[in-house]
Order: sequence, then structure tokens, then C-alpha cells
Amino acid sequence: MGGCAATDTVDGDGYGEVYDPIEPVNRVIFAGNEVVDTILIRPVAEAYRDYFPEPLQNRARDILRHLRSPLILANELMQGDFEGAGNVLARFVINSIAGLGGFIDVANHNGQGIPFENEDFGQTLAVWGVDAGPYLVIPIIGPSNARDAAGLVVETLADPIGIWARFADSAVLDGFQYGRLGLSIIDARARTISALDEVRATSVDFYATMRSLYSQFREAEIRDGEIEQDIPDIPDYTDFEDESEEPVTTEPARGDEVSELPPVPRLDLRPDVNR
Amino acid sequence: MRWASYLLLTLLVVFPAGKAAATQDEAAAQALVRNLGDEAIELLRETSASSAGTVAGVRDLFRTSFDVPTIGQFALGRHWRTATDAQRQEYLALFEDMVVETYARRFEGYDNQTFVVDGSRPEGERDVMVRSRILDPNGPPVEVNWRVRDRGAGNLQIIDVMVEGVSMAVTQRNEFSSIIQRNGGNIDALLQAIRDQIASLRAGG
Repeated sequence: MGGCAATDTVDGDGYGEVYDPIEPVNRVIFAGNEVVDTILIRPVAEAYRDYFPEPLQNRARDILRHLRSPLILANELMQGDFEGAGNVLARFVINSIAGLGGFIDVANHNGQGIPFENEDFGQTLAVWGVDAGPYLVIPIIGPSNARDAAGLVVETLADPIGIWARFADSAVLDGFQYGRLGLSIIDARARTISALDEVRATSVDFYATMRSLYSQFREAEIRDGEIEQDIPDIPDYTDFEDESEEPVTTEPARGDEVSELPPVPRLDLRPDVNR
Repeated sequence: MRWASYLLLTLLVVFPAGKAAATQDEAAAQALVRNLGDEAIELLRETSASSAGTVAGVRDLFRTSFDVPTIGQFALGRHWRTATDAQRQEYLALFEDMVVETYARRFEGYDNQTFVVDGSRPEGERDVMVRSRILDPNGPPVEVNWRVRDRGAGNLQIIDVMVEGVSMAVTQRNEFSSIIQRNGGNIDALLQAIRDQIASLRAGG
């Protein structure tokens, strides 16, 4: 149950790489997703972002989040986050009544109030101690891992409206669920267009960057946005000849922290390197 | 006199490592980040027309506020140990160029965002994590944390930037490691990939 469930420690310093045993397969699916995104999802999302009135975009986002409330509440409870559960419940009641059935997020108006917090079963599994497992790229959906994919399956099966639709055998409800899924995809994509364009343009290996970003972002979500405690050290720059075994340190050693790395001499050699 | 040394020891354990000094470090670290934000916005106002001026200005900011060699060495991970001196020197120069071009490009997307420093906390033995938010008039605020290393005597430098919980240094390290692995452990392949990336960024990619 280490703080770095998504990263193993092949380098011995806590900053290992994401576990990706089926990388060749993942890369093929990733490339396929890129094609689907370029010809279909991104253009629709871009049109939605640029031409669909912004107030309506916000109403769509609010209702999509509102509909997830039962699942989020269940996950908060399963994670033992009772404050979070109280917040979801309060938001649900306020937005159902004052927010016209969830169409307006009045509980968090202009960033004031109770902010929306996303929880899902993948995060719950992580809180229970389940490791991320192998990194996976899922067709259409994109970056994931074994744990989060399992979470997604459970959420899809446990969604109350989904269950209702299955039992009621109603074309209207089925249509509603498909519309909701499509709108979720477009809404999520529309809000990440510029960020993803930027990542694509500024990364050398887009696949590897997305893999790293996904894993770190999920870890941050699992921590509920708290800054990670005890993040591993970043060793000081040191030239090759200076990596002596002799510990050179001016600080008294503290007993409560065990470092894998020998203390490194603090030599700043920048002028020789950059100028 | 024995009890006196016990008392001293107890005091040292109960009140470890000068709380006042730590607070001072944090104030200095916050000032560094605040100053960087101010200078960046100043740079945006001055050089909005000229992209060459932006690149030079960003390079200047990057060199004064960031510990480029420490970040660069970290980003190369375990491959740093196997790189030759010539490869290391070239790598660090290319790494700086790439980061500078990347951020100069991000400056072009500037749209009246503002920047507030919210506070800080000690990070590990020798770092301070400064919390800040970038406020966007057209969207939700972005949480940015700055990991600042204090080497004493007012010598503070940023060694990592965390955007919404995502470390830029770790992301870079994972990416570089992937490129080297896919090229059979060849560091020169990474250097070539970075050169290509710089060229593409300069071409307005």
C-alpha cells in the first residue's frame, strides 16, 4: 500500500516506470484511438465547445455530474470518506431542489460552496490497497489500467439508471443512457482539447507521456488532491567523478527517514555545463 | 552536568531543527515563486510581439529560478550513470533548449490568467513545496505546486513543478526512459529525438 502504487521501483528511488507489460498492443490501440479521435471525437467536441452555447454546456456538465451522485456517494462510503459522502449528499439534495433537478450546480456557484469531487470504483479499489496492475489502453476510452478498467465495469453494471433501464426494457431509457454516454464523452473531450493538443505538440513520445500523466493524475485523484506526503527525493546534480562512496553531508542524520541513496556532494557545476 | 545534556537532547528532539529557520526558508521560497510569476507576466507584456524575445526571456527566467542540471540529471534517470561526459554535456544543453522552447510556446497561449501563491510546507529534508493557483477567467483554476530546494545563503532554486498533482520532472523522466528503452538503451537516440523535437518546436509545431 505504498504511496506510489502506479509506479514500481526498478530504479530503487521510488520514481520507477509505469508497469506496461503489453506495451506493443497498447501502442497499437493508442494509435487506433488517435485515428478515431482525429476523424470523429475531436471534431465533434470542438464544434460542441465552439458553437454550442456555453451556458448549455455548463448545464450539460452539471446534469452529467448530478446523475453520477449515487455512484459517487457509494464510493465515498466504501472508501470510509464520510465527510466526502456528506458533501455528495448535500450537493445532491441542494441541486435536486434548488438546481431544478440537477441542471444547475447551485451547491457550487462561481467556485463558492461545495465543489464537485469525482470518485469512482477504481479509486475505491486503490484505497482498499489494490495496485494499479498493468497499464492498459482501452479502445475509444483511452489510458487506463487493470484496476481502473475493473472499476469501470463495476460502475457500468452498478449505475442505478442503467439497472432501471435493463429491468424496465424501455426504449426511451435505453436511448437516454446512450445519449448520456455520448454526451459524457463529448463533454470530457471538449474540456481537454487545448491541454491535449499542447501535450501532443510538446512531447517527444506522446504515448509514453500520456502513460505517465494518466498514472500520476490517477494517483492524485486517489489522494483526493492532497499533496503527496513523503514524495521521494530528487538527488542534487553531481558530476560523474564526484559520485564517491564517501558520504559528504553537512546535515545531522535524522533517524526517522531511511534514504536508499548515499548522500551526494552538493557541487554546483552549472557554469561549466551551460555557458 | 549530565542532566543538562539530557535536557538539551530532549529539547532538540521535542523542538527539532529550528522552526523559525524553516519558516524563513518557506517565506524565501514563496518569494521566489511569486517573483517568478511576476517576471513571467512582465515578460508576456513586453515581448508579446517577438517570439525571439520570448525565448531569450524564458531562458533567462529558467536559468535564474530553476536548477537545470539537477532536473536534467533526474529526468535521465538511471541512464545518467551510463552516459559519457560528452553525452551528459550535450544532453543538458539540449534539455535546457527543449524546456525553454516548450515554455516559450506556452506563453503564446496566454490569455489574462493571473497567478496567486497560497502557501507552502516543508518537503522532505531540504525542500519547500510552494502552493499556487493559476486563475483562468474562462475556466477552473489550475493548481500548481513548486518544489524549491534551499541550499542556504539565499540560494534557492526550483527543482520540480507539479501541475494538478502531476510532476513535470517525473513525466519527463518516464518519457525519456521509454525513448531510450525503445532504442535498445541507446542514449544517442534520445539526444536525436530531443534535437528533432526542438526543431519542430522552433518551426512552430
